[in-house]
Amino acid sequence: MHGDAVRHDRVKYAFIWPAFIIVLVITIFPLIYALTVSFQSVRLVPPLPPRFVGFDNYVDILSSQRFWGSTWTTATIVFASVAFQYALGFLLALALHHNVRGSSLYRVVFLLPMFIAPVCVALIARMVFHPYLGPVNDAMVGLGFGNLPFLTEPALAIMVLISIETWQWTPFVTLLMLAGLQSMPSEVFEAARVDDIGPWRRFWDLTFPMLLPLSVAVIFIRLIEGFKVIDTVFVLTGGGPGTATETLTLFAYNEGFKKFNLGMTSALSFVFLIVVIVFGTIYLAAARRLMKRYA
Amino acid sequence: MENRSLRTIGLVGCLVWLFFSFFPLYWVFVTAFKPPLAVSQGATYIPFVDFQPTLQAFRDAFSGIRGDFFGPIVASISISVVATALSVFLGAMAAYSLVRFEFRIRLASGLTFGVISIGGFVLLNGAFDIDVPYALLIVLVLALVVSIWMNKYRLPGPVLGNNDVTFWFVSQRMFPPIVSAFALFLLYAEVGRAGFPLLDSFLGMVLAYTAFGLPFAVWLMRDFFSTVPVEVEEAAQVDNIGRMRIFIQIVLPMSLPGLLATSMIVLAFIWNEFLFALLLTSGDWQTLPILLAGQQSSRGDEWWAISVAALIAIIPMVVIAAILGRMMRSGLLSGSIK
Repeated sequence: MHGDAVRHDRVKYAFIWPAFIIVLVITIFPLIYALTVSFQSVRLVPPLPPRFVGFDNYVDILSSQRFWGSTWTTATIVFASVAFQYALGFLLALALHHNVRGSSLYRVVFLLPMFIAPVCVALIARMVFHPYLGPVNDAMVGLGFGNLPFLTEPALAIMVLISIETWQWTPFVTLLMLAGLQSMPSEVFEAARVDDIGPWRRFWDLTFPMLLPLSVAVIFIRLIEGFKVIDTVFVLTGGGPGTATETLTLFAYNEGFKKFNLGMTSALSFVFLIVVIVFGTIYLAAARRLMKRYA
Repeated sequence: MENRSLRTIGLVGCLVWLFFSFFPLYWVFVTAFKPPLAVSQGATYIPFVDFQPTLQAFRDAFSGIRGDFFGPIVASISISVVATALSVFLGAMAAYSLVRFEFRIRLASGLTFGVISIGGFVLLNGAFDIDVPYALLIVLVLALVVSIWMNKYRLPGPVLGNNDVTFWFVSQRMFPPIVSAFALFLLYAEVGRAGFPLLDSFLGMVLAYTAFGLPFAVWLMRDFFSTVPVEVEEAAQVDNIGRMRIFIQIVLPMSLPGLLATSMIVLAFIWNEFLFALLLTSGDWQTLPILLAGQQSSRGDEWWAISVAALIAIIPMVVIAAILGRMMRSGLLSGSIK
């Protein structure tokens, strides 16, 4: 019997190894290579032999205006759009949970945006926000704002990007918050209704605190995912005008594939990783505080 | 009374959002049927009223006079289907072992793995001038063997369990993808220099996307498997049926809805993925998102042609969203998503 147990125990490795090896080879090992490249000066054009430069690449990045600019742009887009996504997504989930009229139709249509390639979304946005030929322009002219240069004026372009992100990812929040709402015990709410507690108090005293852990997780996922944004910006503005809407990923890409400065791009992607870890840690610490206050 | 007014507000809000989320989709759909003049002379809204719909843009696209459409379509379909199948199958295997068995990995041996692989790589590549792919391969095997051997002993320090292994898989998604995409590009280029081209190849893309999809697959399938009753498997075990056969013939069929949902989600992610395709392909194996991103610079304001291309990429996802929407209504996803 003992031998049998060991044999069965061994088989678990056969199950997990293929997945483990693929992730190791495709994700972790390139990282090790890139980490060493980030301490070298490697250029493809003009081709120079790699040279060890220590922390030079990192120092260059931290002292470059463009890096801080793209960090700021990314953070603005991410924080603003995640705030909208959470508020709107939660409200929609509440409405769907209470079965507003036609909610089964909404469920499918509401899901749709998050399954569309961000590249497509950006192309559609280019049409919809076209400064002369788009419908939003028609609406703005109708409201008396005149022709607005949606994609060539930095502040407007960032607003367009925020609304695109909100359009695409609010469904994600709705989906998860709806799942959370549906798994809440109904007895508590029955009791609250019997005690004649109004819907406003019911939400702030019951629903919101009970869903706080889920909310923290959902917002965390969206923040992490949001920081990766490149495709929408790549198609919509290409980072322009100038570098006004350049996000971190786009900056890294431009550095590597337009200037072929490989050492710099590697270093940049690691700095990026650190930025994400720092923001993530701050967020989780703040969230823990908030949860403690409610607990 | 109060409830009533809240309901009305909710309904109005939903309708507003319905319009907001549906309008762009409506727009790309009708634009695909517009003749050029209906685009270039200002926005037109309703077919047959504002303009006469035409299929010209579709004919242009499929006759190939506007560049190769079929290549990227075939590449996208074959890469995403194969990579989805691989990552869901391998992810399901890993998830199954994480649900049914217990893993104990000592942190010390994990750290040893890191130290040996990074230090060994720097040493082999820097000091001994061994080519990058070979150096990585040697280091990988060496570090694995040493850390597995070390894991047998009672080392000091914390022991990591199944949740930590799951977290390790999922945490791959927390990296900004540019980090791993760019690193993978460098590695593929090096492997290509050693005589085995992976850049712009089917194999290279499938490998990259399999690794890309695995974290989702492991995470989602783990929740599905934990709801499968263990008794059937125990009965089969008594009959001395091998674990692998139990897994393939009993467990997988029993969790078919979960497999389907996971495949849909992974497929959607791979189908829409942009950054890896942008870095790792250059011609033959370009996928649809890359073709689309190129459209707007090469086409300018030819919105009818761009809309056709966008629709081709969108339609499979509409099918997936509809299927998942139905599954969600039947409550299948609500349990698993946490």
